[in-house]
Amino acid sequence: MVTKSATQPVPIVARPFFWGAAWFIAWFGARIALESPAVPTWGRVIAALAPTPIAAAALLTIVRAARELDELEQRIQLEALAVAFVLAVLLLMTLGLLELAVTLNRDDWSYRHVWAMLPAMYFLGLTFARRRYA
Amino acid sequence: MKNRVKVLRAERDWSQAELADRLSVSRQTINSIETGKYDPSLPLALKMGRLFGRAVEEIFDLDGAA
Repeated sequence: MVTKSATQPVPIVARPFFWGAAWFIAWFGARIALESPAVPTWGRVIAALAPTPIAAAALLTIVRAARELDELEQRIQLEALAVAFVLAVLLLMTLGLLELAVTLNRDDWSYRHVWAMLPAMYFLGLTFARRRYA
Repeated sequence: MKNRVKVLRAERDWSQAELADRLSVSRQTINSIETGKYDPSLPLALKMGRLFGRAVEEIFDLDGAA
């Protein structure tokens, strides 16, 4: 991605990737803690809430980085997010209607699986948008 | 919207990357503007006008005659 201040070095704690990785690690750690029966209830609540401040820091750096993007890159990112959002809503709607029509195996098809498909939908949108302006 | 960015850039013997640096945008942005796939924002169009020493209407044309 090209930024307006591409020539200026950005500290690692100001990079979205850093906070995105920290968010993932915090989520993964929380999952491990929550799947352990030895952790008491208060510990489980803390584990469940622990990723929230890291996610807030990630959100802040992502928004700041988005504001620094070149104007065409902002347009491309917007179109990619629009595609991902619409595809996610379409998938949720279709799953909801299918669940009314037939009994779906919740281990294979449920709302829980949609979030995992979001990155793929985003990159699909990114590919379309980049091709459009290439 | 048609534009004369490519012509004006060529007159100055600038590469797309050089023009992009002068305008603080990406080379892809310049390429997309020159090929008519992307219309720049008003601030960027004004910066181009200032850089080329032309009025914005002399660079960009809504009617496609530029």
